[in-house]
Amino acid sequence: MIESIELEKCTGCGICDVVCPADVIHMEPQPVAVEIAGLRQTRLLPVIKFREHCITCFSCEIFCPERIVDVHPSVKNRPRPW
Amino acid sequence: MGMDKLDGVLIDTDVLVVGAGAGGLMAALSAKRNGPPGTRVTLVDSWLIGRTGHTAFSNAWTIVALPGDDIDGILHEIVAGNDGIADQVLVRQALVDSHARVKDFEKMGMHFGRDEAGAYKRRPTRGLDLARVMYPEGGGLEFAWKLRLALERDGVQLIDRLFITGLMRGNSDRITGAVGINSRTGEFNVIKARATIVATNAITFRSGFVRDITGTGTLLAYRAGAALRNAEFSYVRPGTPKFYFEGITFAIQEGARWVNAKGESFMDEYEPEWGDQADVPRIAKAMAMENRKGNTPLYLDMSPIPEHLREYFIQSKVKWMDYFFRKLGDEAKTDMFGKTPYYALNQMTKMGIRTGADCRSDVPGLLSAGLAQAGCANHFAGFHIGLCVGNGWIAGKSAIEDIEHLPGPSLDAAEVRALHAETHAPLKAASSAESDRILRDLQAVMFAYDTGILKREDRLQAAFDRVTALAEEFKNIAAPHTHELVRLKETEAMLLAARFILGASLYRTESRLSHFREDHDVRDDANWLVWVDVAEGGNGPSFSKTPVPTPYCPVTLPRRKPSRLAAAQSVAGV
Repeated sequence: MIESIELEKCTGCGICDVVCPADVIHMEPQPVAVEIAGLRQTRLLPVIKFREHCITCFSCEIFCPERIVDVHPSVKNRPRPW
Repeated sequence: MGMDKLDGVLIDTDVLVVGAGAGGLMAALSAKRNGPPGTRVTLVDSWLIGRTGHTAFSNAWTIVALPGDDIDGILHEIVAGNDGIADQVLVRQALVDSHARVKDFEKMGMHFGRDEAGAYKRRPTRGLDLARVMYPEGGGLEFAWKLRLALERDGVQLIDRLFITGLMRGNSDRITGAVGINSRTGEFNVIKARATIVATNAITFRSGFVRDITGTGTLLAYRAGAALRNAEFSYVRPGTPKFYFEGITFAIQEGARWVNAKGESFMDEYEPEWGDQADVPRIAKAMAMENRKGNTPLYLDMSPIPEHLREYFIQSKVKWMDYFFRKLGDEAKTDMFGKTPYYALNQMTKMGIRTGADCRSDVPGLLSAGLAQAGCANHFAGFHIGLCVGNGWIAGKSAIEDIEHLPGPSLDAAEVRALHAETHAPLKAASSAESDRILRDLQAVMFAYDTGILKREDRLQAAFDRVTALAEEFKNIAAPHTHELVRLKETEAMLLAARFILGASLYRTESRLSHFREDHDVRDDANWLVWVDVAEGGNGPSFSKTPVPTPYCPVTLPRRKPSRLAAAQSVAGV
């Protein structure tokens, strides 16, 4: 299941969003620190929006050019027959 | 939200392909390459084409018959391995075409390993003696991506993130395209097509890992009048809730064995001839029996595997699995070599659309490819993709033949408006996401070992009633946003599929392949060498039998223990 994305190193390329086959990561405008007080600035950055629907396929981590996505190899909620 | 007001995009094409796994990618390629110049082919997938679906996350092993191989011998063993439930004409054609397809793949830049003498590196596969599998470097991710690039070069229109929600009939007696929504923005799309190929894979009930495949296209085809078949058969296999291990077959070839909580090797008791090398459904059945006896947890004891070969099993040529093992680190080594309990998991249904060997369904204008097509009830490692490559190519050719004889379709505005309203009906901004709650209840019913693996009439009926009640409860569920709307529609399809699976399992009163009826525990060729088909009968689903034609080989052929597979083969270098 996806754990984290190091946003301070993120270039905002959006590949993690594009390759996710479970619609977990969405690029969304997020507030960033600005040079002048009183101004608002946003950047398009990845948001882990539906973490519980992650299928642990590692695509976001594999294709991230900055190597800043961390997927944990645990799989939760797998159905069991007994 | 103004959802009753029609607002969307119209796309006009000749051949529409829905679903971009091996079957859909090949169907699109085939339609484009077999069609006259200017043929418009459109491929859609609910996520990114080339990076999604079962194929992209597989190792892309595929059974290929090279010149000099015994095609009829391979056909025989596939038919025998399917306990007769195979379309012999289709399987044979897939084998005949397989070498030409590998040549196509090589022209796209895929590399298949060769030995020093220049011959393809191939290996045997579980349960088959003559068949050989090979795979492209980079596995499924490279296979699917190179196909995407080839389709782009060929001029196929690729539409990512389009989730199909309904098939259209227009003012005619045939399918005239489909409607869907962008799976992110929710934008409504209408695709007018002269032929539609459904290739949306099987239904897994979200059994976990990358097998998050929901197979909605088959249920749309059912609602459009097509019959579905093989619902009683499932891909049941051993697995652990903790990690995913594709190498069980090879581990067994190298000496691994199944043991119970008492440390006893149990497969010989259930399968005296085959033992641990029995095929996957039989291992799953034995595991379920051991559970019933109170002998769980069950383990795959890999200690007999020589030390120098063990490293092979905690790495993978499949990229995501390689990440998986690397990140598990030492935990992977201890877990894999005997510490993790295994379960018999029902991973996906074999239900597909009934077609002829030409991949045409009963509904004009509607064809099928991939695992959405009911060509086989059981697949060996390498014949999941092998069959999808084969039936994709056939479906594309058939679609081209069809459109040469058919006039262009016309849209029915009332139908489009009705499908638009139906697609968006569950969308209510103030609601909460609840389809996962129903899904968990559905999983509890369908994954229970004494429903999904060891079947009996009373338990199947109780499960059927429970699923019917869940479907009733589901009618009140709404979705607050597009993400949930897609999941809700997938769950809706699973609820329908579950009733077909349980209904067909009740209907087939014998045991065959992965379908084990405790109350009818023998294979009965006199009465059941048939496909079980389900179609809308006017008053709900109606089940019927279709005899399986046997033009090339008899199905009474006993399964043989493959001699070559029995001999341990070094995994190194393969």
